[in-house]
Amino acid sequence: MIASLGRLSAARIVRSSRLWLSLGVWCSLDLAFAVVAREHGWAHGADRVLSTAFGALSLPFIACAIARAAFGGRSMLSSTAPLVAFGAAPWRAAFASTGVATLATALVGASLAALVALVAHGTADPPPVHDAIVSAYVGGLGGAAYATWFALGTTIGRRGGGRLLLLGLDWLLGGAGTPTALATPRGHLRNLLGGASPLNLSERWSAIMLLGMMVFCTMLACRGTKRR
Amino acid sequence: MISLEGVSARRKPASIKNVTVEWGPGVHAVIGTFSDGCALLLAVIVGAAKVQGGRIRVLDGAPTDARARPQIARVGFDPSLPDGLRVDEALALASVLRGDSPRAAPERLSVLGLEALARRPVRSLSRGEARAVALTEGLTSSRVAVLVIEEPLSSSDARTARRIVETLRDKARSGCAIVVATASLRDAGDLADDYVLMRAGTLVGQTTSVNTLASVAPDGAGLALIARDATDARRLVAALASEAEVAGVELLASVVKVRAADPVALARAVARAATQANVNVIEIRRETP
Repeated sequence: MIASLGRLSAARIVRSSRLWLSLGVWCSLDLAFAVVAREHGWAHGADRVLSTAFGALSLPFIACAIARAAFGGRSMLSSTAPLVAFGAAPWRAAFASTGVATLATALVGASLAALVALVAHGTADPPPVHDAIVSAYVGGLGGAAYATWFALGTTIGRRGGGRLLLLGLDWLLGGAGTPTALATPRGHLRNLLGGASPLNLSERWSAIMLLGMMVFCTMLACRGTKRR
Repeated sequence: MISLEGVSARRKPASIKNVTVEWGPGVHAVIGTFSDGCALLLAVIVGAAKVQGGRIRVLDGAPTDARARPQIARVGFDPSLPDGLRVDEALALASVLRGDSPRAAPERLSVLGLEALARRPVRSLSRGEARAVALTEGLTSSRVAVLVIEEPLSSSDARTARRIVETLRDKARSGCAIVVATASLRDAGDLADDYVLMRAGTLVGQTTSVNTLASVAPDGAGLALIARDATDARRLVAALASEAEVAGVELLASVVKVRAADPVALARAVARAATQANVNVIEIRRETP
């Protein structure tokens, strides 16, 4: 049942030319940075490109674009209305759409992070294959957390404009060294990519926090459909 | 099958107050405009609007019960269809979610002569086409036992309208409870077995004869609008149905009879509707209420 409910969001993602254009732009930007890092022989090329261009810039925008496409550029209530009209429970429809957005973002985040790690690999970075695998894990986890973060944003506003609000909040609150970064995906992703950690949290705890954030945001997003 | 006991609900700008009605299998008409609360009443029946008071039972349970949901279909003015899919994919998805046995989309769409829409993206459909597809989905699902429709004959030509009437009657004979909301006494007469009249959120009359119902309508100003043809007249009716001041609309071939409590408000509503529907009104006659 959940798989059938996910078909709508999957089709929206696959058939959105605007999303593909957006993915093309952000992926090209990351790869361009990676190529520059390689050409200039940066010792920590992979680390630097992943923590700046990828983690701080591309991934949030990619996740926002995928969430926008998965929900058809509308609010949670309105984007799941067709499934509810065919007899699906609202929370199931919301869960399926959020799940599809999360999977798609995790996949794109993991692939792009691994590719960037390989292309930008520097002499002081860990062995390339190991670095690519770890980067894929962090990219996937960060992407998934951002997707649920924006799914929650979709429940805010008549047209789901809360996505942009949460994108702004992530930027405002997720600054390096600030305690408020604890409540944003940005703070924990930066920690996992080798940057400053929120409140000196270990990488393991940041990963756990991202997982907790995913569960919390998914639950709140599904709960938002109760109004119907 | 559908039972409302003293149901009150509010969704701006409409509200319904203390509505008590019971419907079984058959076609039932709710006559009135949007502001009378007809659309809100349908939303309450399908569980899309919160009930503030009273009790509602649909298929022996709440309309939001997991068991009841797949058996309830609603065709609104702006129907919700899965925008990312093609029409055939949308119908296949609906079959899975409702628990229907899979059937080819062209076969289902042929009920209203819409086979040509099967491969079209839902996003590319006009509002009228989307309404027709949503109606076909409800009519051809073997699981749907309660079907509610707003203005089922608006934006359809005479041949399609005849097809819709026949198909609705067939569906009702198979045991389905169909509730249609319309501002047109003529449409209600063509479609339904019994009628309730809504005015300002209150149920003011209930009968099995549309002629009897006309007598309980409040007095006021009335106009007969003569359109160029029946298609223009239908478009005019659809536009008038969304006018808050209009108390009743009746369609007789290319003549639209419209009624309201206040003559000035009626004239303004008619002008707005004619402009919105882009219809030339050939002649306007005063009707004695």
